[in-house]
Parts: sequence; C-alpha cells; structure tokens
Amino acid sequence: MNQELIERYVAGRLDEGEADAFEEYCLANPEVAKQVEFEQRLKAGLAQVASGSTAEFVRSNNPLPWRLAVAAGALIVVVSLLFVWNRMSPAHAPAVMATVTTDKQRSGAALRLALVRGSDSVPALQPGIVRVEIVGLFDLGFHYSVALDRLDHTKDVETIATLYSQHPTSPVTLEVMIDSDQLRSGSYSLRVRKQASDEDALDFGFVKF
Amino acid sequence: MDFIPGGELSRRIREGDVSAESELIRQFEPGLRVLLRRRTGGDYGLLQDLVQETLLVVIQRLRGVGIDDPQKLAAFTAQTARNLAIASLRKAKRQRTVVDSEATERNADPARSVDGVAADLEAALAVRALLRELPYPRDRLMLKRFYLDDHDKQIICQEMDLTEAAFNQALSRARRRFRQILEERGFAKRDLLSLGL
Repeated sequence: MNQELIERYVAGRLDEGEADAFEEYCLANPEVAKQVEFEQRLKAGLAQVASGSTAEFVRSNNPLPWRLAVAAGALIVVVSLLFVWNRMSPAHAPAVMATVTTDKQRSGAALRLALVRGSDSVPALQPGIVRVEIVGLFDLGFHYSVALDRLDHTKDVETIATLYSQHPTSPVTLEVMIDSDQLRSGSYSLRVRKQASDEDALDFGFVKF
Repeated sequence: MDFIPGGELSRRIREGDVSAESELIRQFEPGLRVLLRRRTGGDYGLLQDLVQETLLVVIQRLRGVGIDDPQKLAAFTAQTARNLAIASLRKAKRQRTVVDSEATERNADPARSVDGVAADLEAALAVRALLRELPYPRDRLMLKRFYLDDHDKQIICQEMDLTEAAFNQALSRARRRFRQILEERGFAKRDLLSLGL
C-alpha cells in the first residue's frame, strides 16, 4: 500500500469514491488498516495536544542541551574549586623551601649552616631567595628529609615545610633553597634526617631578622 | 495470519462455524475502525459501539439469509458500517434539537464518556511523549505543519530547507516511534479485548 495514499486518506484528500474503495481495501487487509489507524491516531493526538497550546511544538524539549548545560556548569564549578584549591594549597603556593635545581640558584645568595661545637653565634638568613648549604657528613647512598621548623620563645616547634628525598650534593653538603621573605622574624631550625634509618636528626639553627 | 476470502467466510458462518465468526472479526475489525473513525468525529466510545454493531449485523446476516455476492463481503461490511454511522449521526442530530444541558450531564453514560476521553488522552499522551523525544524542534514543527495545518510536503520542505528524503525519514521515524509508544502502553491489546462479541 502506497504511503502517500494513506496520507491522502487520513488528510481527507480522497474523493468519496476513492475513499470508499480505500476503506474496502482496508477491510480486506487488516495490516494496512492498522497502519492507517496509527496514522489517524497520530493526527488526532497531535490535534489534541495542539488544542491546548502549540507551545509543545516550538519549545525545545530536547534534554541534550540541558544535559550539556548541566555538565558545563558542573565542569565550571569543579574547575573553579580546583583553581581556588590550587591557589590555596601549600604545594602550589610559592614554596618556602625547595630543592636546588639550577646553576643559577647556586650562583645567588647563600647561607652556610654547620654544626660548630662551642659556637655562640647563630647564622642569620638574609632576605630574598637564599641557597642554604648544610655542611655535615652525608651518605650519598641515602635520601634525606629536611624540615624547616620555627621555634618560638616558649620552645614550641612549628614545622613550616618539609622536603623529602633530598640527595646530598656531596658527601659533606646538602643544599636547599629557602624563600626568606616568606618567613617571619624569629628563630628557625633545619632538621635533617637520613631517611630509612634510625639515626638521630641533626638540627641546624638560624635566625631571620 | 492468512486472509480467508469473503466467500469462504460467508459459507462457513452460514454452516454454523463459530471459528469463522471469530476470523471475520479478526479480519474486519481494524478496517472498520479506520472507516468509522472518519465518521465518528473523534468519539472513541461511539466508534467502538459502531464497530461491534456492524460486526453483529454482518454475522447475523451471514447466519441467516446471507448476502447476494459473498465474494463482496468486505464491501457489504463497509456499507453496513457507513449506514450505521449515518443512522447514528441522524439520531444524534435529532437528540440535539432540544438540549437540556443539566439533564444531559445527569444522564450521561459514564462508560462511554470515560472511554472516549481515555482514547483521546492515550493518543495525546503518546504524542506528548513523542514530541519530548524528538531531537530537533524542526521535527515537531514539521509534524504540526504536515498533520494539523495540512501543508503540502513540498512547501514544508522548501520553507524548512529540507530535502524530501530527509522529510520522509523524519516522518517515518516519528510514525514508528508513535506506534511503539502506543503499543508499549497497551493500545493494541486493549483494543482487541474491547471487542467482546
């Protein structure tokens, strides 16, 4: 059965004789009749829906744009939160203490810290980014952790930053970079500890004016 | 299912074969719904009544005196349905000459009105579901213009910048989905059950 004939019948475009013949054909062909009836019902349903308002036909009910909008919104929120978190995270803030990585860092300001028995003077950390050279006996086969502690007058210790897996530059030197400008005035200590060993940590004190 | 020619159906019914009556109902009922839908103005309850009445008249005729040309059973059935629809329309017109709205409301047949309304709601609900699923607003407008505004296909294609192939494809997709929705809602099953001859 020609679909166009069905459409013309449902639209009422067949003349009386054609419509009668078509109806008799439908009586003798139940499957075609069912097809025609669905077409009639689709038209009737559309008319019913349109009798209330034609808004259903023009508004966008497609959930895809909504889903995309929701996904985009969620993405913006996540990215914003990550951005804020990163800005606030110590890991991404300008580091107070860092590993020495470039030759340029080695050519800048430096402070040498060593354990000197009987010394009364405490080294002072100069302003800016300073390379701190810790002098001692280091085992090149090990990694060391370096913790920067602030010591207040009540002898409480506040750990400002910690670096792990630092490798000595030489058997007698371990270097780190410290951003002095981020430190308040006071007494500090670099606590160096050989990782994966039970050796006591060594403390190297300095002050920041 | 095989189609049994009108001549054979007529003969078997006249001989008292009940299964032939069931077969006649199965074969003619969809076509009668098509024919009578066009003549009952969306009154689904009336449509169902007339379908049953037509089938009863035809079966009783075949059980009794029979018809002049059994080969033209489909044509006879169609004409019976048309006559009953016309008679029903005339009866409705006569009843409308003096209308007591309150009395009409009081004495309304709840079964018929509910059935009629339900049929409309079913199609409308299926259409709403279909419209929600259509991915492009263009497709919804296309349906409206084709089925409700009776615009010509070529004009719709031209104005909506569509090829005829794209138009037919979208239309066919909508039809298939509409049918699927109605069938999922039990349309086909309910209509078969409603024919309680």
